[in-house]
Amino acid sequence: MAEKPIEPIHQFRITDYFDIGNFGGDGTPGSGIHLAFTNSALFMILTVGLVLAFLVLGSNRRAIVPGRLQLMTEMTYEFVANMVRNTAGHDGMKFLPLVGSLFMFVLIANLFGMFPYFFTVTSHLIVTVMMALIVFLTVVIYGFYKNGPRFLKLFVPSGIPWYIIWLVVPIEILSFLSRPVSHSLRLWGNVLAGHIVLKVFGGMVVALLGAGAWGLVAVLPFGMAVAMTGLEVLVAALQAFVFAVLTCVYLHDAMHPGH
Amino acid sequence: MSEPRDEKRPDTGSAAGKATADLGARIARARGQRAADAATEQTRTGDMSGMGRGFRLASEFVAAILVGAGLGYIIDMFLPTRPWATVVLLLLGFAAGVLNVVRATRELNADTAVPSDTPALRDDEDD
Repeated sequence: MAEKPIEPIHQFRITDYFDIGNFGGDGTPGSGIHLAFTNSALFMILTVGLVLAFLVLGSNRRAIVPGRLQLMTEMTYEFVANMVRNTAGHDGMKFLPLVGSLFMFVLIANLFGMFPYFFTVTSHLIVTVMMALIVFLTVVIYGFYKNGPRFLKLFVPSGIPWYIIWLVVPIEILSFLSRPVSHSLRLWGNVLAGHIVLKVFGGMVVALLGAGAWGLVAVLPFGMAVAMTGLEVLVAALQAFVFAVLTCVYLHDAMHPGH
Repeated sequence: MSEPRDEKRPDTGSAAGKATADLGARIARARGQRAADAATEQTRTGDMSGMGRGFRLASEFVAAILVGAGLGYIIDMFLPTRPWATVVLLLLGFAAGVLNVVRATRELNADTAVPSDTPALRDDEDD
């Protein structure tokens, strides 16, 4: 009878595998920065390792007639390259490594999350915020480097009369500042919500099966969990794609400010 | 596994020459094809599920309001303007959110554009 209740949030808990040490602080417990190798770090390393293995193994033979693995690698490259070329333009191809790395990392991290007992890296806001900030800072720094003060034309749409410009510019600035927020919130929210819903339906199945005759009803949440699993695989791929496309859209603005 | 069949190349001089005679033209044609494909590629990859679209628009809207309110709150913490910066920036954030949604919708609509050979409907306003 002493079964522990199913917590939908438990799957996102960060656990330390081994400590690296405390930095800073005044020696009292809880002060300073505590560094440890966590399950999140482990799965980030696994994600990067899988991406690296896929790309290195796929491209090390360089056959004229590609094998299966090489074909998959080439199709992945073509997919990302076409996305960058279509969305960011031809001069955006210099950002292909950035967009490709982000896309592959998010995609593999999301798909890792679909395995039971695996930790989902992208279900933590800090990870998605850092990725969104990398994109945001790249846009700002490269935009000013490439266009100089003309980058500020991004906030001043052309063809606006002077008496309304003082209202439009703050709105445009807020709209620009909201980009990293929506960029990171969307990925995080999708992944988090999906995993919680999966866990809730899974928990319902277990709870109903333990309730005698009610076990027959357990078919309903079980079917829902199966359907949600399929949907979550779609969301995992879709959100990685959306993240990469929006990166391209923002980079396009950095190169061509002014609408 | 598939090996590159390089060993055949030297002794099929004429045949190989024929096979690669129009190679330049084929590469040029493939390059031209890429530009033509770009248009159709856009509609294919721009396709998202309805839920994807919904999340996209919702997060664009909410993010702008959060940023506006947050920025206003921070300004109010350091300047003696409480509560006016929060109020004004919240409203501006609301406007920016609407702007974001309009932009995102225009982008999504452009991805699934009506084909250009669709016959135009007669517009009553034009009379």
